[in-house]
Amino acid sequence: MNARMTSSRTTNSEEACDLRFGQVGMACVRVRRADAAALCEELERRVHSAPQLFARAAVVLDLSHFLDLPDDGTVDALLEAVRSAGMLPVGLAYGTSETEALAKRMGLPLIAKFRAAYEPANGGSVAPPAAAEPAPRAAEPPPREPILAEPAPGQAQGSMHHDGAVRSGQQIYARDRDLVITGTVANGAEVIADGDIHIYGGLRGRAMAGAQGDTRACIFVSDFRAELVAIAGHYRVFEQIPNDLEGQSVRCWLEGDKLLIARL
Amino acid sequence: MTAEIIVVTSGKGGVGKTTTSASLATGLAIAGKKVAVIDFDVGLRNLDLIMGCERRVVYDFINVVQGEATLKQALIKDKRHDNLYVLAASQTRDKDALTQEGVEKVLDGLSEEGFDYVVCDSPAGIEKGAHLAMYFADHAVVVVNPEVSSVRDSDRILGLLSSKTRRAERGEGAITQHLLLTRYNPARVEAGEMLSVKDVEDILGISVVGVIPESENVLAASNSGVPVILDANSLAGQAYSDTVARVLGEDRPLRFIDAPKKGFFQRVFGG
Repeated sequence: MNARMTSSRTTNSEEACDLRFGQVGMACVRVRRADAAALCEELERRVHSAPQLFARAAVVLDLSHFLDLPDDGTVDALLEAVRSAGMLPVGLAYGTSETEALAKRMGLPLIAKFRAAYEPANGGSVAPPAAAEPAPRAAEPPPREPILAEPAPGQAQGSMHHDGAVRSGQQIYARDRDLVITGTVANGAEVIADGDIHIYGGLRGRAMAGAQGDTRACIFVSDFRAELVAIAGHYRVFEQIPNDLEGQSVRCWLEGDKLLIARL
Repeated sequence: MTAEIIVVTSGKGGVGKTTTSASLATGLAIAGKKVAVIDFDVGLRNLDLIMGCERRVVYDFINVVQGEATLKQALIKDKRHDNLYVLAASQTRDKDALTQEGVEKVLDGLSEEGFDYVVCDSPAGIEKGAHLAMYFADHAVVVVNPEVSSVRDSDRILGLLSSKTRRAERGEGAITQHLLLTRYNPARVEAGEMLSVKDVEDILGISVVGVIPESENVLAASNSGVPVILDANSLAGQAYSDTVARVLGEDRPLRFIDAPKKGFFQRVFGG
């Protein structure tokens, strides 16, 4: 997707550059309404709430939500809105041949979709948001005041409660707070929190605590069978769950760069 | 009065959705209810075969959705039960021919005709056909086989049922979810080759409404176009009768979930 060029002038015997393909994660802004002002406001809120993640982040504009593509002027305004919110639009997400023509006129690259789940399904798609931006619409609380400062770690923010099972394919995100799940998190389900995660059932899927970088976040599980656990970006996958942990009550925490798991 | 809409779904293909739809609809009809069973698997029409009415399909579901035929013209009356009707899928169209408005119109039409239950036989997968089959449902029967991939797909479906249905979107309360375990082989469960009822219930976190034992009668019944529930001698048929009774609120103990114990003579002389 991205070509990386490394110039070397020191020795003549080497070639002028290497041309390589590599994969990078990139945020994708899926525009629902051609309203530049609203888009700018929404993105500004996101950038404020997680500046490390979003400020000057490269983003791809996805226009697949529109049945008819907006005209060039509108798209220009949308791109400008992304820029003024503090992000850097680098291309358009691949859509139809019209998107391709539009990208050409704008002088922007066309970037393949990251996830097939973004296909515009009938009415509401079941698309989880891109991994770079863990904020599922369904589980999100109603719009709130923009958060201007990052919450200090450990600051009381209350917690988000989810009663019952989290099914395969579902994603739950507790923004700026702890997440408490009273059921089982199934294989293929994801629970994410900016604070701690408590699961009073089995964890068979994935749990990610400290999603905005709080290294003091912990994960507590009553019945441990996880696919993956992560704290502040440090993760462990379990192809085989260690015998001494399987089915046990455990706590996961971070010590330096090491993600540790121990029975309670 | 409105008809109760039951979707029979699974995510995975080949687990017994159509067999279950046919037996469930027939069982409800035997219990005296007026029942319509609709095949949502447009392009892979099967339900009419299992119900034994494939030669009587003139108009189908798509014809009604698109206004090319009336509901009355397309409903095929079952030859064994007067209060049971089949609405076949179209074999020649693709599933884009189904629309949400069209499906709603058909379901409303069935309510007006005085049907008590509408059984929707969902296609496999989680695409448009499956989505439309579950969207209007009041109850769901999730068919699952005792193996890990089927259980995983059912988990996904259970998640969709609690979020992507009209009841969920309108906040009218969760739809009733029934888990039906089919192709259950107690001997293989004892040998550790198959998940047990308890394993499946533990993973999915809900209890089963029925367990249908693996049985050659199912295949024979399908091939002859007779829903297996009508084969009172087969264990699968009896298990389906129990299941229908439980769906209607009766309390019946689970049967056929233990491997048959060999008697003294069988042990001595081989069985």
